[in-house]
Amino acid sequence: MSVFRISYRYANSFFQLAEEKKALEKFAEDVELIYNTLLQSKELRAILRNPVIKQKDKKNLLSKIFSSKLENETSKFLEFLVTKGREDIITEIMKEFLNLRDDKVGIVRTNITSSVDLTDAVRKEISSKLEKKTNKKVLAEFVADKNLIGGFIVQIKDIVYDASVKHQLELLRKKFSEEISI
Amino acid sequence: MAEIRPDEVSAILRKQLAGFDNEVDIYEVGTVLQVGDGIARVYGLSNVMASELVEFPNNVTGMVLNLEEDSVGCVLFGESTLIKEGDTVKRTNRVASFPVGDKLLGRVVNPLGEPVDGKGTIKFDKYMPIERKALGVIARQPVKEPLQTGITAIDAMIPIGRGQRELIIGDRQTGKTAIAIDTIINQKYTHTEEAKKYGIKPVYCVYVAIGQKNSTIAQVVAKLEEEGAMAYTTIVSAPASSPAPLQYIAPYSGATLGEHFRDTGRHSLLIYDDLSKQAVAYRELSLLLRRPPGREAYPGDVFYLHSRLLERASKLSEDLGGGSLTALPIIETQQGDVSAYIPTNVISITDGQIYLEPNLFNAGVRPAINVGISVSRVGGNAQIKAMKKVAGSLKIDLAQYRELEAFAKFGSDLDKATQRILAKGARLVELLKQDQYSPISVEKQVISVFLGTNNYMDSIKLQDVKKFEKEFHEFAELKYPAIYESIISTKELKDDIVQLLKKAADEFVEKFNK
Repeated sequence: MSVFRISYRYANSFFQLAEEKKALEKFAEDVELIYNTLLQSKELRAILRNPVIKQKDKKNLLSKIFSSKLENETSKFLEFLVTKGREDIITEIMKEFLNLRDDKVGIVRTNITSSVDLTDAVRKEISSKLEKKTNKKVLAEFVADKNLIGGFIVQIKDIVYDASVKHQLELLRKKFSEEISI
Repeated sequence: MAEIRPDEVSAILRKQLAGFDNEVDIYEVGTVLQVGDGIARVYGLSNVMASELVEFPNNVTGMVLNLEEDSVGCVLFGESTLIKEGDTVKRTNRVASFPVGDKLLGRVVNPLGEPVDGKGTIKFDKYMPIERKALGVIARQPVKEPLQTGITAIDAMIPIGRGQRELIIGDRQTGKTAIAIDTIINQKYTHTEEAKKYGIKPVYCVYVAIGQKNSTIAQVVAKLEEEGAMAYTTIVSAPASSPAPLQYIAPYSGATLGEHFRDTGRHSLLIYDDLSKQAVAYRELSLLLRRPPGREAYPGDVFYLHSRLLERASKLSEDLGGGSLTALPIIETQQGDVSAYIPTNVISITDGQIYLEPNLFNAGVRPAINVGISVSRVGGNAQIKAMKKVAGSLKIDLAQYRELEAFAKFGSDLDKATQRILAKGARLVELLKQDQYSPISVEKQVISVFLGTNNYMDSIKLQDVKKFEKEFHEFAELKYPAIYESIISTKELKDDIVQLLKKAADEFVEKFNK
């Protein structure tokens, strides 16, 4: 079974628990903390992936790192994951949980790439335009990329709004190569 | 070519620029998760359709075959080494399609419709999806017009009708392709004014080469050009060097073009050379897509692979224009094993088969058709009356000959009657031999078979049979042209013509024996 399916099932069960306890926000904070810690610490990920290290040690380690900062249920969930032998995909499960939260609350994450660094005013304008278009709260991540030459690219999930000069030139190149039949 | 002035170039460029508007382009993307062996797994592309074309970097296109919960399985039509993990994949919103139209006649194209013959680009105005559902019962009518192959043995005993599916099956090197090429060459007649006069409609041909050597394809093209047959033929080429996905879609592409001719009220002939290689290509990519293997490691839907292709052959009803699509699939067997998986499947789908045998081929019987086990289930209705009349006794004579042939090998003490049957059979077998690239018109076939079955060759030496046939036609065309004329125009063998033919034969036999 693919990682996606497994992580979805665990994340979804925890998500339902969160809704039941009406503590989605608190849980989400915890999950975000775990997710970010895991992303930043390569060593921690390596330890969790390592099959030689005993489950007991992994549990101890996790509780030492997180227990003081987490809700009781979240620590239990982490322990449960280790018991089930799914500690290697904790990162994916946390990510999936955050996706579920985003869907529920109505947040879309977008990547906005532009040729130059945008000023705050422009950033705000783009975000508010996107919010109007999607009817959801937009969390934008801005990146500057000189290769675009000019313009910008917005990616919301699978859909790309491409207004970059680079892409225009690419289209032009295609058009010329297609229609040179005199 | 005339030189192009610089101002002309800039004028063209300006024209192209004029139609180019600078707007935000919206498209859907995915990310390559895994790539290799001509398959890519893609994350994203959440709205993609099955069998939609997708664009990879470096001008590689792919087709979506698997839609899974979290990923999309694509087959690549180009080099998989040009793509790496993390590359962006774009949707094209276009289901895999093939260009159709008369501009393709005389051209060699790959299964995506791109020309590969170096004769320049083709400007297409219409594309059709390569996978189309076969027509239902109401749109069809029974097969009723003949499709002349120009090969006496086939046209007399295993007749093919327009809209039929007739399998050509045999081991390697038994002349399968030769039959197909001869059939294409013989369609040249249908494009002449003379054929139009007698109400014979032109047949457009599509030759789909799957998994063949490029040199073989080049040979076929050269031969067809030499015979003037390329004018009404398109070759869809997916040679052995092309990726498996292209070999897999090649027959569907060809069928799409054939359907275009059919749907515009014309007649088309499609040759799939050969479907066993296509099945192997499909096996390769479905194993790479991790579909479970079945018998001989083919996937479960390998029957459907061929049935949905061959079901597209049809004869349209008069309301829809009466066009037709005849399919001649070719299957290569290993050591004559017709009970292997793919041969049995295709045999059961088609309306009959032409079985070629290496033994016959090596014994000099060419085309090496085993008429005993070759059948045509619907073509009989399509045969012209004259041929039907003479072919009946030919079949019986040959069957009797084969029965006695086995006995005759044991001893030489045979009675007169047996000897006569053997002698006649041997002459008929000799008569049905035919050189490659020399199709015979149907009226000549009728007369030849008539001479053979009516014992006019009994007094001729076995090695002189072909010479006798050839010289008789020369003699009769000069002296009794009415015989040929009558058969072509009425498509029947009337009694007075039979009398005339007998008279001519008597006269000629006497002359020949002198």
